[in-house]
Amino acid sequence: MAGSMKEIKLRIKSVESTMQITKAMELVASSKLRKAKERAENSRPYFTTLSNTLADITENNTEFTSPYTRVRPVHRTCYVVIAGDRGLAGGYNSNVFKMVTAAAAEKEAYMIPVGKKALEFAARIKKPVLSHQFELAGNTSVSDCFAMAKILCQGFLEGDFDEVVIAYTNFISMLRQESALLPVLPLKKQEDFRGNTDAGASGVQTPKKAGSLILYEPDSETVFNTIVPEYVAGLIYGALCESVASELAARRTAMDSASKNAAEMIETLNLNYNRARQAAITQEITEIIGGTTG
Amino acid sequence: MNTFRLIIQTVDGQVLDASVQQLICRTIEGDVAIMAGHCNYCTAIGMGQARITMEDGTTRTGVCIGGMISMHEGECRLLPTTWEWAAEIDIARAQEAKRLAEHQLSKPELSEEERAHETARLQRAEIRLSIASLSQQKR
Repeated sequence: MAGSMKEIKLRIKSVESTMQITKAMELVASSKLRKAKERAENSRPYFTTLSNTLADITENNTEFTSPYTRVRPVHRTCYVVIAGDRGLAGGYNSNVFKMVTAAAAEKEAYMIPVGKKALEFAARIKKPVLSHQFELAGNTSVSDCFAMAKILCQGFLEGDFDEVVIAYTNFISMLRQESALLPVLPLKKQEDFRGNTDAGASGVQTPKKAGSLILYEPDSETVFNTIVPEYVAGLIYGALCESVASELAARRTAMDSASKNAAEMIETLNLNYNRARQAAITQEITEIIGGTTG
Repeated sequence: MNTFRLIIQTVDGQVLDASVQQLICRTIEGDVAIMAGHCNYCTAIGMGQARITMEDGTTRTGVCIGGMISMHEGECRLLPTTWEWAAEIDIARAQEAKRLAEHQLSKPELSEEERAHETARLQRAEIRLSIASLSQQKR
């Protein structure tokens, strides 16, 4: 009996130290989360305006063509997979990976992994990795996003791949994060713009609406093509911010429930310990009584 | 003098939202000046100095690199990739960046891509330094 008491005591100690770690991780995640959320929110207006401008250009220029909007038959896809550097974040990493596996399994695909876990994942599913530059998701800065956008735009223009998709995690609320695939290139044109090009091709130009007349310098196509890489970088940065916030939120929730589980375990173990202790005392008393009467 | 609303936003958040008299900045086509009543206009930004004449007539300068500018219905939005007010330029850091870029460029084995990257870095550092020294002279 004394042996099992010691075992239980040791077990309680180990669960207690695990709980200390999970508690600490939860606190760290929640303090970082606030900053990450702010960063995600700060960056939003910049990209909304950029994307509005691009939409305006495609909408108002009827003879508009750009290599970035050209839809080609998809032979190869490039996936930018944004995941974390560390585990212990609930289903955060595995949700993204499951989604990418489902989407890319049958296709010829390249990967740009962001984060250590994503790099391991790319090696596991044996897809060629385009760049090892962005190994640490925590250290990826705005300028890294621009470098990545440059690689992507160049590869897309040169025909290395016909499609660029970002796999990331959407931060919906503190308790809910959803992994998502975001197609980046080719840029989707507005529906009404497509209608206009069709009309233009058949020789009948029908200006749908006067629209707002904007002066583009030197011309709308040059402006469009100069802005696209920035826009792509913006999308990546936005997705990265969302993912980082999601990771921290997921880790916080996971660590919170881990701490709760640990507390529950300690309670049960304490109960068992007391029971064992009581049983040992009872046995001793029985033995003493047995000794005196016998 | 007539004023218009100028909003400057970067990825790190809003830099400025104010009524101003004039904005001068370097675009891919050269310097442009924008004043109240400018027609709807849009272009991409190059690398260079931006000068803003505020509502009270004072001038503020900054380093403005990349991104775009749009004037829409009397409201101007400047969305640079990087923006730094002249007073906030870290001269030591810019000098260090310049030194590093020059050091890298002196290597003959540099690939074309790396060379372009380092040249851009050198240019950025030089613009920062020149604007910082200009603003110091004025003081």
